[in-house]
Amino acid sequence: MDNKAFEFNPQAADVFTREVTARSGQDITACYQCKRCASGCPVAEDTDMVTPNRLIRMVVLGDIENALTNKLTWKCLFCHTCGTRCPNNIKTGRIADTLKKMALDAGIDPQQPEYKNFHRAFFNYSLRHGRINEIGMMGEFQLRNMWDHLKKRNYIAILSEIVGKSTLAWEMFKQNRLQLSYHSSKGRDEISRLYKKSAGRKWI
Amino acid sequence: MDLAYYPGCSLYQSAKLYNHQTKLVFGILDLKLKELEDWSCCGATSAGKINDFMAVALPARNLGIAESTGLAELVIPCSACYSRTLVAQKQLEDFPLLKNEINIELSNKVKGVIKVSSALEVLEKTISGSKFKSMSLRKLEGYNPACYYGCMNTRFPYDVLIADNVENPQSMETVLKAIGVTPLDWNYKTLCCGASSIIYNPESALDLMAKIMRDAVSRGADCFVVNCPMCQMNMESQQDQFCEKHGIKERLPVYFITELLGLALGLSKEDLQPGDNLFIDGMDWTQLCGDSV
Repeated sequence: MDNKAFEFNPQAADVFTREVTARSGQDITACYQCKRCASGCPVAEDTDMVTPNRLIRMVVLGDIENALTNKLTWKCLFCHTCGTRCPNNIKTGRIADTLKKMALDAGIDPQQPEYKNFHRAFFNYSLRHGRINEIGMMGEFQLRNMWDHLKKRNYIAILSEIVGKSTLAWEMFKQNRLQLSYHSSKGRDEISRLYKKSAGRKWI
Repeated sequence: MDLAYYPGCSLYQSAKLYNHQTKLVFGILDLKLKELEDWSCCGATSAGKINDFMAVALPARNLGIAESTGLAELVIPCSACYSRTLVAQKQLEDFPLLKNEINIELSNKVKGVIKVSSALEVLEKTISGSKFKSMSLRKLEGYNPACYYGCMNTRFPYDVLIADNVENPQSMETVLKAIGVTPLDWNYKTLCCGASSIIYNPESALDLMAKIMRDAVSRGADCFVVNCPMCQMNMESQQDQFCEKHGIKERLPVYFITELLGLALGLSKEDLQPGDNLFIDGMDWTQLCGDSV
């Protein structure tokens, strides 16, 4: 277990805290480390002692590297238990989400390699078709994973991707959850105009 | 009473059964669901992971369509769609500039007048009315359900007002008690099931689901009752996996709240789960459970 003290970086602390505050919309300096969030966090058991309150501490101290690469940032499920229990109404789930986005912006690979591909596939599919068709969305997700493996010349991973997703599809088919019908929305034009508007925006 | 209805993608896809049951049950309760014309995806959690602006703009389009119908209330059965739409509505209200920016591109502008409710909230309100009390109910015997709410019913990424208790919600219990079923008191009714992380982080998700399962089983539950399509899919389709991983012998069916309510209102198993287009063999829970319960 790697549980070292956080690095205090006075130059980075101010800028980093302000950026995280703006992008997450959370007043993180209001945290007084009461740890109510820590006791409720469902994934805190396997994040190497990084609890939501400690995540906030990392940001405030300007320990950028630790904040972007610790396990909690990547394992957070966005369940908002921390946020509903915080006496200062800090929604730490949104801070973890913001840190994930900042890490991806900085070119850091996500700790679950499929995280980025899944949400990308879902989001892009919903923009393109207006609605989600699970077969199509999962197909795009699979292609993105396979492309990543291809770039690394990892042919075994490509094979196991095909086998894994086919097994999943077969399981879903057996449970009658696999729908073959296609549905979409005509609002795609409106949606793509809105998407163009969002270019370069880092917060709402 | 007429209500605007937003089913959402999953009710057209993997949770088609929930759409079917919701329409049936609402019909019996004399609530007419008017499906929004040309509704689009709300972005679910994925939009917010990539693009904060679109996470508001996508539900805003549906809100605009819903308001153009002139109806007073928008009903959403899926918890994720409900959460996204409710949060987007509050954010549009709190940030008027953002609302203007989004409205410029929308053909149906958002004004912010329609009330956004989950299907569960509407059911809870309806069963307390005098009309429901005069309806004859079939007695449901032998159900000992654990009501499982998950995250999205009561916890939101933004401050919104809801009627139910955040840590110990009671709306499903209220509905079940009204049809003569006594639900269990248990610990993990709002614990996260892992949702979509079952795809990219299955270890964490399976551990969480096993926790939920173990507590329900140890308190003598014989089924789960849920109102979220994602929770239903995870808890049911992954059940063999997480139970085998954690050495749990029991298996429990996972019903939508509409299934038990529909049965009590006189619908048959065939009405609620017709043909082979729909999934789960939930009704036959004795067979699913085997000898261990």
